[in-house]
Amino acid sequence: MKGFRSRRDFLFQSCGGVSGLGLAYLLNQEGLLAGDTCSTASPVASPVAAKKPQFEPRAKAMISLFMSGGVSHVDTFDPKPALRKYAGLPLEGKGDVIVRQGNPGPLMPSPFEFRKYGQSGIEVSELFPHMASKIDDLAVLRSVKGQSNDHVQAHYEFSTGMIRAGYPSMGTWITYGLGSENQNLPAFVVIYDAHGGPFGGPSNWSSGFMPAAYQGTVFRSSGVPIIDLKPPDSVAPEQQRARLDLLAKLNGMDAERFPGNTELSARIASYELAYRMQGCAPDAVDVSAESLAVQKLYGLDNPRTEPFGRQCLMARRLIERGVRFVQLFHGGLGVQNLDTWDAHENVADNHGRHAAEVDLPIAGLLTDLKTSGLIDSTLVMWHGEFGRMPISQRGLGRDHNPGAMSMWMTGAKIKGGQVIGSSDEFGYRAEEQPISIHDLHATVLHLLGMDHKKLTYRYNGRDMRLTDVYGELIPQIANT
Amino acid sequence: MRQILSICALLAATTVPLRSADRTISFAKDIQPIFQKTCWNCHGANVQLSKFSLATRDLALKGGEHGIAIVPGSAEKSRLYRMVAGLEKPSMPLGATISPADVETFRLWIEQGAVWDAGAVVTTTQSDITQDNPIRPEERSYWAFKLPVRPAVPVATRNPAARNPIDAFIFSALEKQGIPHAPRADRTTLLRRAYLDLIGLPPTPAETAEFLNDQSPDAWEKLIDHLLASPHYGERWGRHWLDLARYADSQGFEHNYDRPNAWRYRDYVVRAFNEDKPYNDFIREQIAGDELKTVTNDSLIATGFLATYAKVGFREKDNPEFRYEYLDDNIATIGRGVLGLTIQCARCHNHKFDPIRQADYYRLQSSLYGFVEVDHPLTSREVAAEWKQKNDAVNAKVAALKSDLRDLEKPYRDRILPGKYAKFPANIQEAIATPESQRTPGQALLADQVIRSVTVSNSEIDRVISLEDRVHRTQLQDAIALAEKERPAPIPMAMGVTDGDYRFVPDGPGDEPAPGKGKKHEAIEGSYLHTGPGKYQVPPSYFFIRGDVNSPGPETKPGFVNVITYGNPPAELTPPTVNTSGRRLALAEWLVSRDNPMTARVMMNRIWHHHFGRGIVASLDNFGKMGEAPTNPDLLDWLAVEFMDRGWSVKQMQRLIMTSETYQMASEFPESAKDPENKLLSRFRIQRLDAEIVRDSILAASGGLNPQVGGPPVFPVIPDEVVKSMFDGKWERKEDGPEVWRRSVYIYRNRGLPFPMLDAFDLPNQNLACGARNITTVPTQALTLMNDEFVLKQAQLFANRLEEAAPGDRSKQIDLAYRIAVARAPRPEEQRLAADFLQSHALGDFTNVLLNLNEFLYMR
Repeated sequence: MKGFRSRRDFLFQSCGGVSGLGLAYLLNQEGLLAGDTCSTASPVASPVAAKKPQFEPRAKAMISLFMSGGVSHVDTFDPKPALRKYAGLPLEGKGDVIVRQGNPGPLMPSPFEFRKYGQSGIEVSELFPHMASKIDDLAVLRSVKGQSNDHVQAHYEFSTGMIRAGYPSMGTWITYGLGSENQNLPAFVVIYDAHGGPFGGPSNWSSGFMPAAYQGTVFRSSGVPIIDLKPPDSVAPEQQRARLDLLAKLNGMDAERFPGNTELSARIASYELAYRMQGCAPDAVDVSAESLAVQKLYGLDNPRTEPFGRQCLMARRLIERGVRFVQLFHGGLGVQNLDTWDAHENVADNHGRHAAEVDLPIAGLLTDLKTSGLIDSTLVMWHGEFGRMPISQRGLGRDHNPGAMSMWMTGAKIKGGQVIGSSDEFGYRAEEQPISIHDLHATVLHLLGMDHKKLTYRYNGRDMRLTDVYGELIPQIANT
Repeated sequence: MRQILSICALLAATTVPLRSADRTISFAKDIQPIFQKTCWNCHGANVQLSKFSLATRDLALKGGEHGIAIVPGSAEKSRLYRMVAGLEKPSMPLGATISPADVETFRLWIEQGAVWDAGAVVTTTQSDITQDNPIRPEERSYWAFKLPVRPAVPVATRNPAARNPIDAFIFSALEKQGIPHAPRADRTTLLRRAYLDLIGLPPTPAETAEFLNDQSPDAWEKLIDHLLASPHYGERWGRHWLDLARYADSQGFEHNYDRPNAWRYRDYVVRAFNEDKPYNDFIREQIAGDELKTVTNDSLIATGFLATYAKVGFREKDNPEFRYEYLDDNIATIGRGVLGLTIQCARCHNHKFDPIRQADYYRLQSSLYGFVEVDHPLTSREVAAEWKQKNDAVNAKVAALKSDLRDLEKPYRDRILPGKYAKFPANIQEAIATPESQRTPGQALLADQVIRSVTVSNSEIDRVISLEDRVHRTQLQDAIALAEKERPAPIPMAMGVTDGDYRFVPDGPGDEPAPGKGKKHEAIEGSYLHTGPGKYQVPPSYFFIRGDVNSPGPETKPGFVNVITYGNPPAELTPPTVNTSGRRLALAEWLVSRDNPMTARVMMNRIWHHHFGRGIVASLDNFGKMGEAPTNPDLLDWLAVEFMDRGWSVKQMQRLIMTSETYQMASEFPESAKDPENKLLSRFRIQRLDAEIVRDSILAASGGLNPQVGGPPVFPVIPDEVVKSMFDGKWERKEDGPEVWRRSVYIYRNRGLPFPMLDAFDLPNQNLACGARNITTVPTQALTLMNDEFVLKQAQLFANRLEEAAPGDRSKQIDLAYRIAVARAPRPEEQRLAADFLQSHALGDFTNVLLNLNEFLYMR
């Protein structure tokens, strides 16, 4: 920390001279300026400079594992023997049966076997043997409910608390509230499926009406991580450095004419940050720097698990470097019924395939976080955008069901091996302790050291919140 | 679609003492009073939130949309009890409290069988939440709600020569605080400021020379007139309005459908600014362009304002509540954009801070309620009629042929279907095989799902069709193709609105009750557009209790926001035809009335903001109590009155502003300590260029800019992988070149995919009305300008341009480069540094540096 302090003074008190990025870079090359270039905080007042949480946080960072398309809870974390018992009968007595497509079918049992895992004996289906082996670390929520059975609206609800586009995402609120520990990397990183973006696209990580500094930055899962991070091959590194050096000198001279203008000095500094990001971002996501054993842990040795395994490993490396919030999407553009969890046609095929893609990598991530101790300061959340229907869609598939879904949270000193809430006997609606997305958001912010009622942003004369005027903490998670 | 608002903290889950049922509960004595006090407002005879009513025992036991609520004999199993006891969320009553004693009474009543006294029929009182409380005088005494009156122009003693009233207001305010102000900026700075401000492009070296050589005393005035007359002026100032209108070329949401005619509205806005269309007419056309005495193509296109909201556009008919979101969006946009008020906050309850009642909201909703989206033909009526006639004829012919085709194919479909059913699991086959009358309820569901959704494709028919039928089928198909050839070429259409009945809008995507899709909810008779006879009637609209579309209260009448309504303006005017209601016309007239205290103030404040980087009221879209106070209220009022007196001419007001000393102050001013935030304008505020202007300035510097004005949107290159992040929607792959090097206002606005370079520079969200853009400084901007292929290519073109103009002459090249990029000659130190740099680096490296200069990216 001391190093950058002097570095900042150096940069800004010698603007009239020959200072500048290029020089700073050179000095750094020669070790004349102290500090590890990629892991330190910022030398400038940045909108995403680290801020103190409102109270002692349970986690400093968060990883969201978003299974896009809608994971069936009754086939994964919420066993429903009643579906077997009443298979083939209409769903009755639970209010209106609202389907997304066509007409309702009869109750359909899960094609998957459930069994008890761990000390806690929580039942998980055969789809997730690896995740299930971690069950004693997971808090499973079985009574989460959303507001919409539309993919995009449900994505927006998870991402922003609102079913309409245009509102700041959860990552934006977290970044706004906490800033970043590492200014050489974006504070909020999104890595979406190799098949393409999730339902709703970039609005899922948009800063809405808040400044763009808080929006999510998309990292590619292979190659140079950020668009425009590096100049094209035709520009040599030396060439770029010379340009930056000249720019810093010219901008430095200009800044003298506007003493005290922080906007101009922030822009000058942003070039230094950009330059450092060029070096730090590729390094942060370079999974080849990991040992073969670690790569194997994430399934990088298997083409089926490799894509999501890479996303998970990148997430760990980013969190480790002080990135505040990493959101991974599994499932994206392509063939909707095939490339996302949207199992209208055949839940066994669809979920069978996708579970095999994510199960081992996610378990690997949890193992790795635990081994390194990062789990104690990291919140990990696994979820889709809604659950699926207990009734069949044309015999083999399941339609959307926002009335109940299962998800889990771990890390952040959350008590593992517990089940929170329940859905009704068929899994149609959340029954015991229904949990809204606002409740979830309130709880996430709480774990990160923020009161969701106090994290506000004035927009259009109103103090806006991630949780609007709602949200209650989930006691089993929020209380230790 | 919308949650019910819970205002107060919910009741904590209290443990109910388990006492024996020692007292017998009487419905009339114990329960009915609690119902009356606590429940019937929302679950009574008038209103049934969540479709749940406690009006009669039958209704109460039937339950609501969330299922059964009362299980006689078991309080623990009754949601009614669980919710009032706080055992289940949301706790009831919403936003109010219930005493533990009453909770216990409920428990006992249910435990004892939920007995309902015979004949207890409920007559609830009209719920008072729909009441329209009259505006109290003190509510109207807030500054913004009073009509602006032209204040006396103060005398600024320090600058008695200040002839422009704007200066008098600004200087006297500064004098009062003892704050010095900056001197006039040098002419080069002013020139560049005027260009970037008015047309959003930097001046060329020739334009710079022309101005600097003009020593006449009115050179500045002439320059401003010249720029105001430029066709590029509307591209710059129209863009500000397009931000408010949240204009886009795609619909947003999952399918993000293309809006092929949206650009005509964008061009209309650009044109309106170029023509200096009076602002009152501009508003009239956008709200009621189809209802005016003189309807023109432009006034029809203008109605696109009410159709530019983000829209799901899929299965709209199965989701009638969407319509209310769109109405809300339009109310919010008119409220923020035209009136500077957050009216949409009053959708579910009276506004928390401003005297805007929920009834005001529903009056406005009623005023807009008749609108439906429609494509207006932009041809003469005769041409349009002829086109329609021909098009309908083709439709009729094709429909008949298709019907024949279906009849011909039917036996084959019937033959193929069983084979397709056979691919489904055994239980489905069994269900289908079972005669309809003998299917179990579950089998009926299964069979129905499959039978209704399995279709036979053409190629499947091809494989089994007889030779004879095949010939016949081909003839029919050829006849269809032939008929299609007679379809008239499309005529130009505007995306807009007119009055009609939204319930009968033609089916859109997903509305067909086709395979896999749902069924329509509406089963009433009516027509989409009114064609007579008699006068058009607006479909009924209702006050929604707590904003819940499932809880209609009384029917509403059109009208306005009371606190800003003076006199008694009509809520309906007689439109020129019987096809519309005149409600939007009345709304438009109310908006632009001199008796509306908001409209002129709000627009003048926007103009001020775009010139000075900060409004007199900093919260452009909110003049209410939670907005910012005006820094110079008299000036704002003076401007507003002057604006109206000058016939709502935006250009005249801009000329007035820009010819003031206030506008011409330097931004470099060391004595800024007394006014650190520059709220009183002691100096000109330097302003980062808007996203579009960053890109346009780069194109201008490179010489690559294609200055063509107007037309369909363009698709500059976006890397494929970024296009992939958009879930659905349109992005055409075009060559990088002059065809797409148009001004950024013409880039296709895709709600699912903000254009990356503009996004990096704070493009506003394309779904919400935006008055003042955010300005952020982040490394991604640096990365874009340093590394993006587009920028590097333009830097190279810039370099080529220099090399061509002054082959081999480094010094001249540097000089010209500065004149192009920042409209001035390089200072000696800059010339020296550049020359040193060019000793060992290419000109393209140097020009890239210039495109990254702070000076290049700021108007100052």
